[in-house]
Amino acid sequence: MKEMIYQTVCPGCNIGCGLYIRENEEGALTVDFMKSSSANLGKLCRFGMKLPHHYSKATSMVDGKEADIDAAVKAASDKLKGTRNVTMLAVGATTNEEHLGFTKIADALGTVVNTGIGAYEEIPSECHPSISQGIPLDDIENAGRIALFIDPYVQYPLLVRRLLAAKKNGATIVSLTCCDLNLADENVSINPADYKTELGLDSNSIIITDVNPHSDAEQVKNLLNLALVTGSKIMFMKPFVNSTGVHLLGKSAGQIGLHDIMDGINDGSIKTLVTLNSDLLELMPNTADAAETLEKLDDLVVITSIDGPVNEMATIVIATEPLYAKAGSFMNVEGQVLNNSGESTVGIDAMSTLSQNLGGEAFDFQAMHSKMMESVVRKFTAPKYSELECKVMETAAPAENSGNLISVYNPFMWCNQTDDNDFVIVNMNMVDKLGLQKGGMISLTSDAGSVNMRYTVRDIPDGLILTMKKLPVVTGNTTEVKAEAV
Amino acid sequence: MMTDKEWTPKIVAFCCNWCSYGGADTAGMGRFQQPASTRVIRVMCSGRIDPLHVFNAFLEGADAVLVTGCHIGDCHYVNGNEKTEVRYQFLEEMLQQLGLEPDRLHLNWISASEGERFANFIKDVTAKVKELGPSPLKPAGVK
Amino acid sequence: MANVGDMVVGYATDENVRSRGASGGLVTAVLAAALEKGLVENVVVMKHINEFEAVPIITDNVEEVLASTGSLHSVPVNLAKYAVGRKVAMPAKPCDVQAVIEQGKREMIDLDNTYIVGLNCGGSMHPITTKKMLVEMYDIDPEDVIGEEIEKGKLIFKTKNGEEKAIAIDELEEAGFGRRESCRFCTLKIPVNADLACGNWGVIGDMAGNATFCQVMNEKGAKLLENAIEAGRIEVQPASDKAIAIRDKVNSVMEDLGSYLEKEIFPEIPDEERMQYYMDQMENCIDCGACKEVCPVCACGEDSKCTMFHSLVDNYKMSMYHLVRFMHLSDSCIACGQCSDVCPSDIPITLLQSRFSIPSQRRRNYQPGMNLDTPPFFEVMLK
Repeated sequence: MKEMIYQTVCPGCNIGCGLYIRENEEGALTVDFMKSSSANLGKLCRFGMKLPHHYSKATSMVDGKEADIDAAVKAASDKLKGTRNVTMLAVGATTNEEHLGFTKIADALGTVVNTGIGAYEEIPSECHPSISQGIPLDDIENAGRIALFIDPYVQYPLLVRRLLAAKKNGATIVSLTCCDLNLADENVSINPADYKTELGLDSNSIIITDVNPHSDAEQVKNLLNLALVTGSKIMFMKPFVNSTGVHLLGKSAGQIGLHDIMDGINDGSIKTLVTLNSDLLELMPNTADAAETLEKLDDLVVITSIDGPVNEMATIVIATEPLYAKAGSFMNVEGQVLNNSGESTVGIDAMSTLSQNLGGEAFDFQAMHSKMMESVVRKFTAPKYSELECKVMETAAPAENSGNLISVYNPFMWCNQTDDNDFVIVNMNMVDKLGLQKGGMISLTSDAGSVNMRYTVRDIPDGLILTMKKLPVVTGNTTEVKAEAV
Repeated sequence: MMTDKEWTPKIVAFCCNWCSYGGADTAGMGRFQQPASTRVIRVMCSGRIDPLHVFNAFLEGADAVLVTGCHIGDCHYVNGNEKTEVRYQFLEEMLQQLGLEPDRLHLNWISASEGERFANFIKDVTAKVKELGPSPLKPAGVK
Repeated sequence: MANVGDMVVGYATDENVRSRGASGGLVTAVLAAALEKGLVENVVVMKHINEFEAVPIITDNVEEVLASTGSLHSVPVNLAKYAVGRKVAMPAKPCDVQAVIEQGKREMIDLDNTYIVGLNCGGSMHPITTKKMLVEMYDIDPEDVIGEEIEKGKLIFKTKNGEEKAIAIDELEEAGFGRRESCRFCTLKIPVNADLACGNWGVIGDMAGNATFCQVMNEKGAKLLENAIEAGRIEVQPASDKAIAIRDKVNSVMEDLGSYLEKEIFPEIPDEERMQYYMDQMENCIDCGACKEVCPVCACGEDSKCTMFHSLVDNYKMSMYHLVRFMHLSDSCIACGQCSDVCPSDIPITLLQSRFSIPSQRRRNYQPGMNLDTPPFFEVMLK
């Protein structure tokens, strides 16, 4: 076999970094830089550089045994035919075209595809465009003032250079994240109700924040209000490469978020789940809890290109080609349609067969691509909405000898991929208070269990413990943990 | 808080097992006065000292680092100290370019019998580094 | 019969290659001939994606080699890493050649079986900067560009509708566009370290724009050239004294400019401010490791000193990774600029590295990647 070179997009977040994946004669992958890609100039973050590890190829399975893809599709058709109340989930970790194919299956089953971000459902639909599509990344560089609600270094690293460029052009940056940011002119902690008056934002400002399946809708509303009142632009980053695309392609009515899906499984109202490149074991904050919940399903049908942990639990796995090899497109946070150079349609074709077997439409890549172009490519107009009622709860200060363990969501965490992140971050006061030893460990205990971690010291507010890795003691975005020296 | 007067620098001395380590020993046995600023790390040959070890010492909070070994021609392993010398030149140039004061890094050949020489060396360096104050690479929280 | 030291002017015999090639298609034809006649098993070429994007491919297909013609100043890739472990012929800018030779010194590339066709280089540009420059300085839609050229200190773009627009590089660089920073202070413009040194400098009279000046640098170069002549792919004639003089003139002007700009790009920083300078420059590093991955002279592989002794849990004032790299590359950095190109935090890492490596190399009167006479400085001294 000759070396294959694919032009593709990094699946780490929705910035949409262009890159090449080179697959050599032996099938080994390397990343190469695509310097003409306007979103990233070919530059990649830690996650992008480690992409070859991410693309682990999935294997089709039926009832725990390896099968070929046709057999898996047939088995899935038999399983799903006539089944009522099928729940479907696709967070946007694959192409627009596959997502559309997946919605065709939903049509055949009389259901909708959920994209997993529950906050959408609690926010009036006229605000949705502001959440789903951001502003051109170049505009960040020309802003006058930027308010950051995310840690760009860890969460969306390709924003760092944009922010630095903005500073060079005279912008001031105010950070409201829990870690002091190097690039921020001001690192502040302000009561959410006072953002409007305290942050000094105006129509030349940009608010950069993110929305993900675990986001608190009230906070999202508060920031939408902030943008409305101050007239500043707002940019919601998202953790999945095609988060914007799937929102524009999907039906927004009747969707439920990840947490509602898990609740539904727990209370028995959801018995059958079909997922597309969405691994709930990776997506939920607590893997053990999620596994326990998924055990309760009658049937779990997984369509995926990745050999994720949930595949082991699935009744049926329909394994599609790796993301970089797929024919298809993505839409990044700017609303740019980015195309893969790959030509493989294994996933689309499998979904077409499945759809047909379930009494729905047959389709091919070309049809899905044209449909995507019709529905996705439209002129973006700033949506109009009026101030929303919201109530942002401030997180309670932790009790004595406890800390609030906060998950700093990042691509490695969403994909549960190993990285040099096997430690937590604390401040010097906690080191002194707990008597932590240099090179020693900190023990964290919550309702979910206990874990010993290495730690490092940064300038963060008292009582906080930050993790960039998914920890077994975590139960939500913030978990109160008892902290002790080991 | 410690006052400037009380501050003693932390000096990491890499010593060769066959010479300068013995030199440090001899200094002690001969009761030569020397400040208690040094942390000796014994290596089998100064040729074993990688620039990385020196970086690590500085990054962990050393105020000065000493690379010591046998006199040229006396290496227990034929020419290990000649290799040290080449590496040291690169290292010295590099740390100087980095902006670290030259007095924070020294190379010295000290045999096992030169206890007084060792003690004087430590005394000199300690005095110089005391004048310089704490290393700019010392991490927060390290005294 | 080609001999070492020969200077010729030549072009591809194939009309199609000659007209599409940048300067008579000689380089393309030499590479195609090397493949065709079995001198090498593969050729590294840039596969054209658009005017601003091309990707290096390794091919054994003569047609693919012939299709790769055309100069691409705005695709700044270093080709050395693509030649590792293969018997190839390749086109190469002077910094590509340097990197190939450095890899050869580290036994990653078998230089006896690697044929390097060097290309004169006045500098390369970043594609996105180029696009912006086209809009802001040239008033040209980047989509309309079909060709580019550097001539007499001017950067010329040709558009679909046959128009040409030239602006002085000085002027462009003053406006913040133009060549990549590492190219501005580069003084190796003619690839005298390659097997053949080719380019359009010294191509005069009715041959101008239609032929390539080519100097045979060594035995391998003679073999390459002879092979292409025998295969009937190229025609050459001896270069005139005037041509040679003009080529030398252009080269020395470019070299002088590089030396002049070096002083401008590396202002002295007082001793007591340098530490803070380096800390400030690197404070936004996100530890992606791309600068090592892309480094064309690095032959350490995945597990290396700079990565294995560096951990994010450490709370150091400076990154162990960067300190080890500054040191380790001080004898071998060729300042090709790849690391700056791929840095997601826009750290000018090439400039920082050069502050260590340029003085270090000068002090030892050593230039990396020029020949095999001097192995990596560290290693020869450590034997």
